[in-house]
Amino acid sequence: MSYVLKAIPALFKQSVAGMLQYRGEIILWAVWGIVYPAVAIAMWSSAAKNSITGLDIRGYGPDEFAAYFLLTMIVGHFCTAWDVYEMGYQIKSGNMSAKLMRPLLPVWGALTDNTAFKILTMVVLAPIWVMVAWLTQPKFDTTWSHLTLGLLAMVLASTLNFIWGYTLATVAFWNTRVDALGEVWFGLSLFVGGRLAPLEILPWPLQWAAKVLPFKWVIWFPSTALIGKLDTAEMVKGILIQLIWLVVGIVLFRYAWRAGVKRYAAFGV
Amino acid sequence: MCGLGFQPQHRLGIAGFPGRMNAMVQIEVKKLTRTFRVPEREGGLLAAMKSFIRRRYKEVRAVCDVDVTIAEGEVVGFLGPNGAGKTTTLKMLSGLLHPTSGSATVLGHVPWDREPEYLRRISMVMGQRSQLHWDLPAMDSFILHLAVYGVDKDQGRSTLDELINLLDISGVLKKQVRTLSLGERMKCELCVSLLHRPAVLFLDEPTLGVDVTMQARIRQFIAEYNRRYNATVILTSHYMADVTALCKRVIVIDRGKVLYDGPLADLSQRVAPFKVITIDLQRDMDGYDFSSVGTVVASDGRKLTIRVSKDQAASATSRVLADLPVLDLTIQDPPIEDVISQVFSHGPESTS
Repeated sequence: MSYVLKAIPALFKQSVAGMLQYRGEIILWAVWGIVYPAVAIAMWSSAAKNSITGLDIRGYGPDEFAAYFLLTMIVGHFCTAWDVYEMGYQIKSGNMSAKLMRPLLPVWGALTDNTAFKILTMVVLAPIWVMVAWLTQPKFDTTWSHLTLGLLAMVLASTLNFIWGYTLATVAFWNTRVDALGEVWFGLSLFVGGRLAPLEILPWPLQWAAKVLPFKWVIWFPSTALIGKLDTAEMVKGILIQLIWLVVGIVLFRYAWRAGVKRYAAFGV
Repeated sequence: MCGLGFQPQHRLGIAGFPGRMNAMVQIEVKKLTRTFRVPEREGGLLAAMKSFIRRRYKEVRAVCDVDVTIAEGEVVGFLGPNGAGKTTTLKMLSGLLHPTSGSATVLGHVPWDREPEYLRRISMVMGQRSQLHWDLPAMDSFILHLAVYGVDKDQGRSTLDELINLLDISGVLKKQVRTLSLGERMKCELCVSLLHRPAVLFLDEPTLGVDVTMQARIRQFIAEYNRRYNATVILTSHYMADVTALCKRVIVIDRGKVLYDGPLADLSQRVAPFKVITIDLQRDMDGYDFSSVGTVVASDGRKLTIRVSKDQAASATSRVLADLPVLDLTIQDPPIEDVISQVFSHGPESTS
């Protein structure tokens, strides 16, 4: 493990240097990530304002929708993972062979790329988040404990989504056209992860599905924690559930990776 | 069972390598076999639709019962036509591929266990498949490589300086890798692959696509690396010159099976003791009896390729020059493919 820790700063530096070569592209990808939440804010705030009863929709008024979707915008950015779209190409092009020759699992390089992207794009995204907040006037009930535990939940959510995304990507060792699986994964996270609507206002079958899948703990949980909608006990319980999903993800990754590499046919070399 | 029924004639310690007999065995391969399952179908839309419903697969045996023993410091050439199983064997020995059956140990490790301690002691250069970051200067990849392999700072710095000097690449280190010429890139590829001073080096077509001068420099460099660090080198190449310059021992492989394992000198002397003379004529010489010079391999109007035995090459050339209006004439060793196809057509029995 110590050699991994020594190698990570060097990997991170190269990830940053690589990202800086493609400034335009990474900015566009980052901005693309805020499109869904922006649409959702407009839609739900408008629905809440025009509510016939004049009441909130299941506890969410326009300013609370604004807060929720501003947070899904931020959490969504920190929880993005794209390896499922990349792995098939890496394998088909032969790049995976070069990575496999190194005495370090390729997942570490993917992790530093992922982290570099999230940090570098903050330069563009942070002002956009501030602007969205200024335009939509969100309402927060956040205390210090919400902020602390919510940030911890966001870091866990990011790691959790990365490892699950990378595990899913290992399917590419069996079938390199794994992009479609990535789309299904993203689609599920829209519905049962809380990207399109807070889970409280979804019909019960989707709420039930959300309970047994990991997506809720990636988007909905850190977002509601950070806007102050959860009490401490709920947050601690949520963090424990995140940890369970994380451990399951790591175990699955290790198993899938070994099986995948064994199956690897080293195309393109 | 796979195989053509031939037994390799030479083995390490049995024939030809008294100097290496006491050297430590570094690579030991026994009955190594790899089978691929590949989908296949006829051409056309109907066949495509049928294949959508029911896929047919074919078993392809890429490597079959290969037995090889290689000692420390040897430079061995793997020869064979495309699809012979050379690269598949290298991929297994480097840990990229799991075999279907058989065993191998390299430096005391089972390659496909992919232990980091093993991967730190080997290197594989795969032609155009890059260890270099395409969008960054090569120097960035060198620095990353030293960190990933956990190379001691001082040793890393001195190896880097040494390799930059040996390969003469100080002028290209600041350029983005994608803007380098093929030869420059290949040299950087070699540099990055050797920064951790691997004890075993797998080279898959290291001179593919680079010009003749660059090929010669790369060969010189590989020979120097082998000499300096007593590294074991296994090389595949289509260029006879690579093999003759670097390898005393060759392993000829076809359809996954080892056909010959022994000294290179014996192989070409026994199998292809001839030269190939290519002649460009100023005008047609239809009446001339070319078969009296040697075996006409190809004839295309005024351009002829004639095969003559090695000891008659000089006299045949003088005769052609004296008798014919020659525009251009070249004498070459037989192409590696020809030497190998001789082995294939006669079998190794004929070489002994």
